[in-house]
Amino acid sequence: MTVPDHHDHDHAHPGVTKDEEPYGYYATLELAVRELLIEAGLITTDEHRRQIEILDSRSPVLGAKVVARAWTDPEFKKRLLADGSAACEELGITMYDGAHLIVHENTDQVHNMVVCTLCSCYPRPVLGLPPDWYKNKQYRARAVKEPRAVLKEFGTTIPDEVSIHVHDSNANMRYLILPLRPAGTEHLTEEELAGLVTRDAMIGVTVVKSSLVQTNRGQA
Amino acid sequence: MSSTEGLISHLPNDIGGKDADAINMEEHSMLPWEKRCHALLDVLATHQIVNTEEKRRGVENLGSEIIGNLTYYERWIVSAVNILFEKRILTPDQIANKTKEISERK
Repeated sequence: MTVPDHHDHDHAHPGVTKDEEPYGYYATLELAVRELLIEAGLITTDEHRRQIEILDSRSPVLGAKVVARAWTDPEFKKRLLADGSAACEELGITMYDGAHLIVHENTDQVHNMVVCTLCSCYPRPVLGLPPDWYKNKQYRARAVKEPRAVLKEFGTTIPDEVSIHVHDSNANMRYLILPLRPAGTEHLTEEELAGLVTRDAMIGVTVVKSSLVQTNRGQA
Repeated sequence: MSSTEGLISHLPNDIGGKDADAINMEEHSMLPWEKRCHALLDVLATHQIVNTEEKRRGVENLGSEIIGNLTYYERWIVSAVNILFEKRILTPDQIANKTKEISERK
């Protein structure tokens, strides 16, 4: 066992991991609002705790499951493209935020990508929380103006003859991209296919490759 | 176009189509308070106490200086507080007393 030879603060460590101690200004503000609303009976501690559990339970693994099912089950794919929310709910993925999920399919003629120019609307129920770059000014400003240049920064080159459709999300409509199934994956199971599907491909800034090993992300 | 027209024709967060730098793909893990803040705003949206559109408007109303200097979840909580004041669900005094009480704990 290693004994730390130096401990330069004297507060107790009640939690398992270190939290902000003392709370900063904004963390205190959040706690103040939450406690006041709980005291007023408008929300409950349990709802807040439960929502943290829901946030923790959502990740791109769910979206990948949806994509792999659509690739292997044409009837499911039809339902998914007709009503994204309802099809996801078939797989037990609830749209907890009440927003409508719209799924756009990439084809040989069209490549789709998602942005939220105004803020950070994102299909959280199926992808979890958005990456920082999705919320930052650079992506939001440029995606609708020069999508091919933006895609290139993600290491993605879409042939000129393929149109690019950029979908600007809002509070009521969230988009998920159904990527092209890569060639050479005919022998894979649904579960193996799901393992190839990345978050960024479901946002539409990358494409799905037949193996996860070579990705060019970041090579602008 | 006059030099000030751009300030009025677009809200500070309405940036789609503007010029901007290369995308920074570095990601950071969510801080514990940020997750609590996210969950709180989700709960407020569920009850329509502060819905998503109101939260976004609240962020817009912070103005470009605050928007430019606060982090993402800092903007969210300040926006929510302002909307709650506007709706007279909370008062500045309540917040002041509660934050004082919290800072005196332990």
